[in-house]
Amino acid sequence: MNSKQQISHDILNGLERLRIMHDLIKDQNYEHIPKEELLVDLKENLELIKNNFEKLTQY
Amino acid sequence: MDKIICLGKNYSDHIAEMKEDAPELPVLFLKPPSVVKEIKNQGKIALPWHRGVIHHECEVVFKLYKKNIIGLGLGLDLTLRETQKELKQKGHPWEISKVFKNSAIVTPIQGVRDFLNWQETVFTLKVNGVIKQHSKLSNAIMKPNDMILYIDKFFPICDGDLIFTGTPSGAGALNPGDMIELNYGPIEYTFQLVKENEF
Repeated sequence: MNSKQQISHDILNGLERLRIMHDLIKDQNYEHIPKEELLVDLKENLELIKNNFEKLTQY
Repeated sequence: MDKIICLGKNYSDHIAEMKEDAPELPVLFLKPPSVVKEIKNQGKIALPWHRGVIHHECEVVFKLYKKNIIGLGLGLDLTLRETQKELKQKGHPWEISKVFKNSAIVTPIQGVRDFLNWQETVFTLKVNGVIKQHSKLSNAIMKPNDMILYIDKFFPICDGDLIFTGTPSGAGALNPGDMIELNYGPIEYTFQLVKENEF
């Protein structure tokens, strides 16, 4: 996998992660992942996706 | 989703019907995301019968996040059985019999909270109105948390990965036109199988 493909792969994984977080928060399903941890994950993940999109525009 | 991790030989009644010896631990194999088909109620799913007999294996499916089970579904792990037998006899890997378009059929994932007791809830596969497979997860040889620990020893587990947890007895052949019903707690889906390129 070249680096462009890798970035694309990372973006799609990040979006998948966002979808999971959305479902967990929507359903208030905090048994395994506490709300605070999810919100930290959300922030980190959004930042990562943003950075990866910026990198992708460089190609 | 990075991958589907499948457990084989995780129900003793299925091992018996396959006339195989029980392994010390369940067998692990992978399917790629490109073979996943999410069921739409009353939809149609195309399968490649020109490649041989296709067997159904009905299984509870876990969706993972941070190595936790955050959602459940019911799936059909499909197998080209004759091809698999030939590959096993030659001592070759099974992929050709397990990895083909639509070979991992799965219902939309429901939150764990939607189930009263998901390990004791009966799951059922009906083909043309006849029950072919039914069991509950508590009948599996390996328990859910142990499955994750076991898989984690061998494969990197990624967020969104699915685990197909193994099939009970009753695995059998499917035919074009079959009406399939999958039931597991709040999960209820019906769809039809058709030959590849038919629609």
